[in-house]
Amino acid sequence: MMHGLPEGQAMPTEPDLVMPMMEAIRLWSGVAVPNAAARHGLVDHAALIAELEALRGSMQFEEEPSGFEAALRDCRESRA
Amino acid sequence: MNAPVAGADLAELSMTEAADAFARGEVRAEALVRACLARIEAHDSKVNSVVRLDREAALEAAAAQDRARAAGQTLGPLAGAPMMHKDMYYRAGKVSTCGSKIRADFVPKVTATVLERLDAAGAIDMGTLNMAEFAQNPTGHNAHLGHCHNPWGLDYCTGGSSSGSGAGVAARFFTAALGSDTGGSIRLPATICGVTGLKATQTRVSRHGVMPLSFSCDNVGPLVRTARDAARFLRVTAGRDPKDPTSAAEPVPDYEAALTGSVKGMKIAVCETYFLDGADAPVVAAFEAALATLREAGAEVTRIAAPSLRAIAAYTALVSRVEGAAIHANWMREHPGDYAIHLSARLYGGYPIPAHLYVEGLSRRGPLLRQFVAEALTGHDLVATPTLRTRVPTLAETDIDADPANWSRFMAVSANTRPFNYLGLPTVSIPCGFDDRGLPVGLQLAGRPFAEATVLRAADAFQQMTDWHRRAPVL
Repeated sequence: MMHGLPEGQAMPTEPDLVMPMMEAIRLWSGVAVPNAAARHGLVDHAALIAELEALRGSMQFEEEPSGFEAALRDCRESRA
Repeated sequence: MNAPVAGADLAELSMTEAADAFARGEVRAEALVRACLARIEAHDSKVNSVVRLDREAALEAAAAQDRARAAGQTLGPLAGAPMMHKDMYYRAGKVSTCGSKIRADFVPKVTATVLERLDAAGAIDMGTLNMAEFAQNPTGHNAHLGHCHNPWGLDYCTGGSSSGSGAGVAARFFTAALGSDTGGSIRLPATICGVTGLKATQTRVSRHGVMPLSFSCDNVGPLVRTARDAARFLRVTAGRDPKDPTSAAEPVPDYEAALTGSVKGMKIAVCETYFLDGADAPVVAAFEAALATLREAGAEVTRIAAPSLRAIAAYTALVSRVEGAAIHANWMREHPGDYAIHLSARLYGGYPIPAHLYVEGLSRRGPLLRQFVAEALTGHDLVATPTLRTRVPTLAETDIDADPANWSRFMAVSANTRPFNYLGLPTVSIPCGFDDRGLPVGLQLAGRPFAEATVLRAADAFQQMTDWHRRAPVL
């Protein structure tokens, strides 16, 4: 029994993305959904996915070598 | 010994005031420790900030400091200052629960470098503090140790994950505390409890012997009363550590020497988007009043656009969650019921995030840092934001364990702090007012990499012009 809901029972308004995500997590990581709040948290991913989709044109893998620590050093105050 | 500081005032002293009074011979270390112990014994039953109180060890350490001073020995810069630390800094042979049931009996074999440096500076370690389970929530809820309560209003959250650190410094239980900051876990309890919290540049302070949460975004730092406290604390703890190969070799300056008390000519940027989106009116009012104070003191405040923030915020939401999920994968498979509901729920959300987005997020971190610096910190010394966009929520309003519908409010708490972890920039939170319910509001100031001296100079100047950081809750 998950918190607040019988195990395996979806919330009434649960988006379609939740069940496939749960299945993918089970397959790839062997982790079962621990509670209803976890399921609720997956619902929250819809907004993140929408944001990533909106940014898709401007977000991409950086081809050039670009170490973060090097960027920290290059951007430090003394070299402003 | 010079004229002793009045006993009733000892717990009110800031870290540097206590250490300086001790160095001048105005107070004994034992008296400082006893004053803090008395505060804890009188009030921690309400606040619940303390996990383990090493009373006798603290008194012995204080007596040793008193003997050292009496013998004319050289004193460390933190000598005599009573401290307690988040229960995730390992001390060999001592239990470090990390706020969890899973590590309730965990005894590390190593001591954190940062604890060794504080010990060497003469700080008095009185024990360990409440925290979010595995440092994984921004509110201070803890199902295993009991929730930590805000000294300004016991029904309100303390902020997390360094809940006991923020609450205890505010309650005058000790002068300083280590917190850790992966998405705001120093700055949030600092702002919510009305104290000062510093997250230094990523790599500035060693993480050896510290429970990991996110290898990319974890930071070690203090919660204290004043920017001057933070400056001295950082000088003691910062610097290259052979035991932490990710620690920076940058020289460690005398941060206190940079505290001129002036912001005249300093240029401060305020981003027109993101940090004030959906902000509560009392928070905006306190933030604008703080900007006005800085402007009156000679700082130039400019509204700017920072288009990179949208991508920064999106990547920020990915990196630490994926890393946290990876760290906890075995326990999530084998002991999921040993986590609090909100924590297993949060960790679970890290598993479906595609690896290519995580790798992309890491690959863009350097370029986005350069872009944000070009947009916001070229021609400006600092970026200013409210530390928390909303009024301080109650524990009930952010309790996912009781009601999963509180999820969005819970996650929104760290919206303004998380981007600076992805960017790795030094960032301080200082008190700048109170909301309409009497809970503190914080001002967040961020600077270029390794510009802690500039960040602290502005924070110290603000504290010399205001008294928000001096106000204490009534318990």
